[in-house]
Amino acid sequence: MKTRHKFVIGGAAIFVVLAALSVQGLQEMTVYFYTPQEVLAAPTNFQEKTIRIGALVQPGTVEWDARSIRLAFHITEDSIRSIPVIYEGVKPDMFREGQGVVVEGRMENGIFEAQQLLVKHSEEYKVDHNQVASKVDYYKSVIQ
Amino acid sequence: MDSAARWTARLEIIAPLTLFACGLWVFVFTPTETEQGFVQKIMYIHVPSVVVTYLAFFVTFALGIAYLWKRLLVFDRIAKVSAEIGLIFCAMVLFSGAIWGRPTWGTYWVWDARLTTTLLLFLIFLGYFLLRLSVQDREKEARFASVLGIVGFLDIPIVHKSVEWWRTLHQPSTLFKVQEGAAKPAMPAELLYPLLASMFAMLLFYGYLLLLRWQMEENQDQLHEELAQRVI
Repeated sequence: MKTRHKFVIGGAAIFVVLAALSVQGLQEMTVYFYTPQEVLAAPTNFQEKTIRIGALVQPGTVEWDARSIRLAFHITEDSIRSIPVIYEGVKPDMFREGQGVVVEGRMENGIFEAQQLLVKHSEEYKVDHNQVASKVDYYKSVIQ
Repeated sequence: MDSAARWTARLEIIAPLTLFACGLWVFVFTPTETEQGFVQKIMYIHVPSVVVTYLAFFVTFALGIAYLWKRLLVFDRIAKVSAEIGLIFCAMVLFSGAIWGRPTWGTYWVWDARLTTTLLLFLIFLGYFLLRLSVQDREKEARFASVLGIVGFLDIPIVHKSVEWWRTLHQPSTLFKVQEGAAKPAMPAELLYPLLASMFAMLLFYGYLLLLRWQMEENQDQLHEELAQRVI
């Protein structure tokens, strides 16, 4: 076997491995999270596996126990079908009802046990003129 | 070259003053965003840095093509200094985004499509300078760097569109949000105008840095040539 052939075969092998890895990586990257509908439609595919689900916090389902640092809520897309989530950890500042969140964890007996809770920020920016009387006053209060 | 020096001197005063004025506008006269509060101010660094990163690497891309076509080293010098500035602003985008992400998302970093492709952009142009350092011959360096600069730039459309093509933690564009069929920023005018002004100020600053570095690069190459002739 010529040296050149070895290079070609070796190069091809490296290329195939890299291509396989990047396809897998791309799938993970392009779908950062699943939706509740996808998970509920095929629950067996998502058992015993660490996954991320992105959805909205269903209003009226949030239970925050500050003493045991335990947060329970439902996530939903359509307010009809939802997944109950338990998260043991500090409630993020931006967490509120109706907010978009991404939870990472596992499905255990129909309940999603989240290890990580991320708040998804929307692209909408707002100013509430009733809340902020004067900017200068606000900064004074921040400094004090 | 003389006019470049004149413009550098002008921008040296204009650009910092404009940036300072934008700082005053953002921190004193701009109302606080309702949901995020003070953290939203990071946007006035983050988004202008994105704009400069896009422009700087576009200049590298365009002048890379110009160099391959005309083979004039002046194109390569401008491409190089623009990529340098782009790399620094790209780092600023990543840093300011991380600092914003911690209080807003609850994490400094996630491997979603937007963040990953942005990091890739940074790494490509880091490799661009490693490539330049590894080649001794000046013409060869310019040729290789032009090709990498052109290929590397192609990541930018991917970065920009990633939030629409794929599911990401990063929110879609606020400035180019499409509402009722037309692109309309999803933010009130009080927040938008200082952002546009900050983008303008940051572009002036880019212009200043580009002119300054370009002249340094010209002088450096000239010095190298003269020294080489004396040795002979």
